[in-house]
Amino acid sequence: MSAHPGGGPARRRARTVAVVASCLALLTAAVVLGARAAGREPTVTLLANWTGDDEGNLRRTVIEPFERKYHVRVDYQGSSAESQVLGADVESGTPPDVVVLTGPGELADYARQKQLQPLEDLIPQKDFSTSWATPLADGHVYWFPLKADLKSIVWYPAGTSERQRGQARDRPEQWCVGMGSGATSGWPGTDWIEDILLQQHGPRAYQAWAGGRLSWRSPEVRQAWKTWGLLMGAGTSDTLLRRTLQTDYGKASAPVAAHPRGCTLEHQASFIRTQSDAWRRVDGRYEPSARLIPGATAHNAWEVSGDLVALLHATPQAKQLIRYLASADVQRAWSTAESGFSVHAGAQPAPGAAGPAWHRGLAATLLDRQAAHCFDASDAMPPTVRDAFAEATIDYLAHPGHLDGLLTNLDALTRAPDQTWLPSVCDQVP
Amino acid sequence: MSPDRDPARRGERGYDAHASGSEPAAGAPLAPATGARPDPGAAMPPHAGTGAHPGAPPAESHAAAPVRSGAPAGAPGPGTVPQEGRRAPADGGLGAVARVLGGRRRPRPAPGASTTAHELAVRHRLLLALSALLTLSLFVSYEGVHGDADPLRTSSAPAVLSIDTALYALGEAEQDAGAATPTSDFQKQISVAAQSLAAAAGDDVGGPSGRQALQTVAALITVYAVKVQQAQLQPAGSALRQAYLSYATSILTDQGSGILARLKVLQKQQRAAVHRQTSFGPLLWLGWAATLVIALALAGCLLETQLFLRRRFRRRYNRGLLAAGALLAAGLAVTLLFTVWTHQGMTDTRQLLDRRLTGPAITDAGRETAAHLAHTGFRASAAGGILIGGVLVMALAETGLRRHIDEYRFRPR
Repeated sequence: MSAHPGGGPARRRARTVAVVASCLALLTAAVVLGARAAGREPTVTLLANWTGDDEGNLRRTVIEPFERKYHVRVDYQGSSAESQVLGADVESGTPPDVVVLTGPGELADYARQKQLQPLEDLIPQKDFSTSWATPLADGHVYWFPLKADLKSIVWYPAGTSERQRGQARDRPEQWCVGMGSGATSGWPGTDWIEDILLQQHGPRAYQAWAGGRLSWRSPEVRQAWKTWGLLMGAGTSDTLLRRTLQTDYGKASAPVAAHPRGCTLEHQASFIRTQSDAWRRVDGRYEPSARLIPGATAHNAWEVSGDLVALLHATPQAKQLIRYLASADVQRAWSTAESGFSVHAGAQPAPGAAGPAWHRGLAATLLDRQAAHCFDASDAMPPTVRDAFAEATIDYLAHPGHLDGLLTNLDALTRAPDQTWLPSVCDQVP
Repeated sequence: MSPDRDPARRGERGYDAHASGSEPAAGAPLAPATGARPDPGAAMPPHAGTGAHPGAPPAESHAAAPVRSGAPAGAPGPGTVPQEGRRAPADGGLGAVARVLGGRRRPRPAPGASTTAHELAVRHRLLLALSALLTLSLFVSYEGVHGDADPLRTSSAPAVLSIDTALYALGEAEQDAGAATPTSDFQKQISVAAQSLAAAAGDDVGGPSGRQALQTVAALITVYAVKVQQAQLQPAGSALRQAYLSYATSILTDQGSGILARLKVLQKQQRAAVHRQTSFGPLLWLGWAATLVIALALAGCLLETQLFLRRRFRRRYNRGLLAAGALLAAGLAVTLLFTVWTHQGMTDTRQLLDRRLTGPAITDAGRETAAHLAHTGFRASAAGGILIGGVLVMALAETGLRRHIDEYRFRPR
């Protein structure tokens, strides 16, 4: 008879201790791992240029619903210096997963560097026309628009007659202008010159210039600069100059709602109608800039801009975000929140839909198949040329006599090697 | 055979001291001699039936069992009916626990049978369970305090100071930016701000989103410096100089999206992290209260088991249990002391970082923080010792009781 059928006492003791120790280790590991897992959530990083109220809108209408629906956290960074931030992020090897940029030129450059991921498998081709989701030379689509805006328009307060608008056009102090925009100061000036060139010389000359094929010193481009200088009263008043240069573009329309009224007209994109409190208060209306730009000859040509979404890291969460941003519901929600316009085929308002006349008019113009839509030329240019262009507009207002030097410098930058120029920026020009 | 395991040679006495309140009489008649056979159902020492040491069973403490002359304790003769109500005190107050820990696996001893094996098993399991529970509870509670000390020392606290440095340097740079001629002070302050942010990024401020925010700020600082340089290239008082300075200032001070606003958000997040890491919240209070209650229960159980063994086996001390008790007391004292020291250092650090620091005060704060949090890393690493200590306490309790349990494992058939 064995006194220890289960093994010797030493063996039993060892077994007991081993079992208890193992249980303890397992429990501890479970507690530690459980605590860590609870604090972890899949994340996608998003970089765009929206800050302040726009950022609040984005979070409320786009990001938070996405986070709730897919249980993915979105780390959003918004900055007016988005271009510099993205450049630094890419150079340091830590780019965001998804980026929203206004410049297809910059995106094309990143695509050339193989930093962007193709999107044609993530977004249905029928949703966006090729003029918005443009395939590059390698056949891939690398971006699509989240929102579009019309730029060839001039805002004025309701009740301002055509005659009053005509008179205001020839008085530089009646233009509400602000060149300030932090890191990207000067871009309102580029919008002016681009639109003047488009209205005076048409989409063909515009596209050649935006593609680096028309010299900055060409008569067409030079005329556009001079026309703008004339409208702005460049070189005529130091007070006006300081006001124009130091005013932030977002606050440029403030005098329109002041008593007495400080300015009447503003050449600014469609988004300013809701972004500016002053235009809301004076019930801002718009008219095509072609009617006010001296020497305008183009017919039904419109400068447009867009917030373009691109993918840098094809993580499952980032792809999910791309599909989400390309969906008709999100496009509609974001466009409504920002009073912008979606060019998504499925996100268009039904005919006869409610809304202010100015909004319906802008939407119709943006989708008009007969109209020529040309993408913002500076946004389509390589970033170095774009930034130099913006600074040149500031310098030009201060020193209109320096125009030749500024244009020569821009031509030199345009000829620099290793830059990506978009072959086409207008949808009605072959 | 180990002499220690031989009940006869250990001098364990065959009579319940309780019965008469005196030492058993020497030369009391042994069971075989009187013909009073032990009850087959009673717990017997392994050798009781082998004839090796006839008549030398270990003591049983059936307080209720009438002790008859010539009958070994715990081996009541036929017809002796133990009374439940009087047997309970012999459980040492562990009756309820016994029902939980011992009642399911093993049937209760038959009326009149020995309960020693059962009671040993109950105490054995209770000691092991309490030790395991205490180890886990102490480990989690200890980690709850010390686990945050390392990130505080190496990440959160330096990050708050780095951001303070960057904010101060940028404020100084903004003053230098307005100077009539370019100064090297401006470049120096920009370098200080950039290096501080690089240090903050190295401290892993706010995880991936914090790193992204820091990269944004770093890029904005570069743009700010460029705009200031563009301004300084223009003649003093010119419209262009004022314009570029206003762009630079807006990059620095814009509400919500300016450099300062972003840094303040990051700093607020880091201060919140410091508060989170240094707080002694309700969960930690609960954890430490539970740990102390379990520790007291374990100490009480060790003491009771010691007394139980003394009553049943006439051994003054059980060395295993004594060592377990000593280890428990020492371990608790050390962990409590370490925790108080570390928590005090963390609280002092938080109070220091909550102040708005500028200039040389930031450097002083860095030194003081390092002093407050010195040795917290070593103390945090002691958490592994808790697990080892727990296993040791269990091993000691096991060793202390195993010899007695083994003696009672054998049952005559």
